[in-house]
Amino acid sequence: MNRIDIHHHFVPQAYKEALVAAGPSCPPPGYQPPIRDWTEARTLEAMEQSGIRTAMLSITTPGIHFGNDAAAGKLARQCNEDGARMMADHPGRFGLFAALPLPDVKASLNEIAFAYDQLKVDGIGLYTNYQAKWLGDESLRPILEELNRREAVVFVHPTSAPCCSGLQPEYNEAVVEYGTDTTRTIGSLLFSGAAVKFPKIRWIFCHAGGTMPYLIERFLLEARRPHSAKQVPQGVMHELSRFYYDIAQTANPAPIGCLKALFPATQILFGTDYPYGIGCQGHVDALARCGFTEAELAKIEHDNAIGLLPRLAR
Amino acid sequence: MAAPHRIDVHHHFVPPNYKKEMNKKRPMQPCMQDWTVQGSVEDMDKAGTQVSLVSVTTPGLHFGSNEESRMLARDSNDYAMEMMRNYPGRFGLFASLPWPDVDGSLKEVEYALDTLKADGIGMYTSYGNTWLGHPDFAPLFEELNRRKAIVYTHPVCAPCCQDILPDINEAVLEYGTDTTRAITNLIFTGSSYRYPDIRWIFSHAGGTMPFLIERLTRLARIPAYGKLLPNGLMHELTRFYYDTAQASNATALGCLRSIVPASQVVFGTDYPYRTGLDHVKGVAGCGFTPAEVQAIDRDNALRLLPQYAS
Repeated sequence: MNRIDIHHHFVPQAYKEALVAAGPSCPPPGYQPPIRDWTEARTLEAMEQSGIRTAMLSITTPGIHFGNDAAAGKLARQCNEDGARMMADHPGRFGLFAALPLPDVKASLNEIAFAYDQLKVDGIGLYTNYQAKWLGDESLRPILEELNRREAVVFVHPTSAPCCSGLQPEYNEAVVEYGTDTTRTIGSLLFSGAAVKFPKIRWIFCHAGGTMPYLIERFLLEARRPHSAKQVPQGVMHELSRFYYDIAQTANPAPIGCLKALFPATQILFGTDYPYGIGCQGHVDALARCGFTEAELAKIEHDNAIGLLPRLAR
Repeated sequence: MAAPHRIDVHHHFVPPNYKKEMNKKRPMQPCMQDWTVQGSVEDMDKAGTQVSLVSVTTPGLHFGSNEESRMLARDSNDYAMEMMRNYPGRFGLFASLPWPDVDGSLKEVEYALDTLKADGIGMYTSYGNTWLGHPDFAPLFEELNRRKAIVYTHPVCAPCCQDILPDINEAVLEYGTDTTRAITNLIFTGSSYRYPDIRWIFSHAGGTMPFLIERLTRLARIPAYGKLLPNGLMHELTRFYYDTAQASNATALGCLRSIVPASQVVFGTDYPYRTGLDHVKGVAGCGFTPAEVQAIDRDNALRLLPQYAS
């Protein structure tokens, strides 16, 4: 009963209502059965059954901004307060990656201050892009500056980019586009220079890094181009090796073997994507089949997260 | 020097008239501008490559006019034939088509396979915003299936994704992604099952598909998709071939290898963007047994292309 789930979604009532109101214009349809049926009791039950001591809560894609800054600001606050309430109601069982009303930068800076200073959150939840601005984009620099100043733990959740929403209507865009967008934002952070410029941000990327590990040869080649080389003076691997990667929806030997070949177990975090996917216990079982030693599993399931979030240590 | 035994299924040539047309749109990269047949042959000699199957690289040769594209495809295919005549045994061809011109493409298939005896057809992972599972491809794929053709697919950066990331060359991730989209689209529209005799080769170790396998596996378990795959997802994925170009590292090929047997991996170099030797060294560092390396370098491709056995 000691696991820490870095990738666990909660669905505040206000968020459910906002998804319903956004309706079909909300890309992708966010109001899917796992979200609709989510309850706090079910989350606790799933954690209980799979030995998860603490679940780090975040809001899943498509996030909370549906076109109106004021509404997004209000919704971010409601979600964050609800997460803080869960933390208070169940001591030690929850942590929170606070939601921000991006791309509204000013309101987001306010929300960062409120979330850290009043709610005492553990970190900030971002998405891989905001209206086709990936995280290295100039427009997001004030946010990264503030997060760097606070040495924030930043959990980056994929969302599909406007370019790629509805491209292949035959199936859910989670299949290809989410992983891809994580890779895009990692590339954007590296080759815009943001990763180097804001070294104190502790980045967590979902789903084993999207598809970045598989494309590592391309990243290494890109870093040889003069403009790109300047953005990563210590090399791509230096930056990539200090990021963290969760195993949600990728707990199988193909991607995990690939991830493992590039980064030590110290950079890998247990995450389930609850209430999506194969569930909490599903991830425990699947991770056990990925060829890690007991010592590595202890790191992935617990120690690495404590290193990032010492508050969670017992 | 290694005996020239390798078969390079991913090797680009730059037909002069194609280069002229391309440069009118957007100047080609230096390695493409400077491409020569002799350069190809020299690189092959250094890498121990017996034969390279040449294809036209992205963005292909349809720039809006069917007429122009037919001429360019024909010219490119004829030019490859000239290379094959001038350097006997050193080159093969994955012929260009003027797709999305359906009639022109069907005529070019006939010309390329019957008259020129090309080794297969070269296609791109998407055309506009249609990936290879789209119903538009039905007449072409029916014909290619009937002929049991080899279809080599090369990625493009789909229109959706051009110039979206100012700091990054689209080759870094958009090509890999579009290959994954093409594979996923072929499989989950039922096209892969519908055209079982087309022998597909996908570039760059399958794009990013192997890394995303769990997403595909879970999709295939949903009955609506499962029924499009009477033989199962893995049956389709393990009949495809995947080349080593720009992915000859233990990370990527190790991952690919955990999804498909080594029998489905074929040597490819992406020359002139990269060298043959890069890939020889890359494959050597991937932990394959000597027998597997031999299979990747040559034997797997020979199952598709037995004409190069001697």
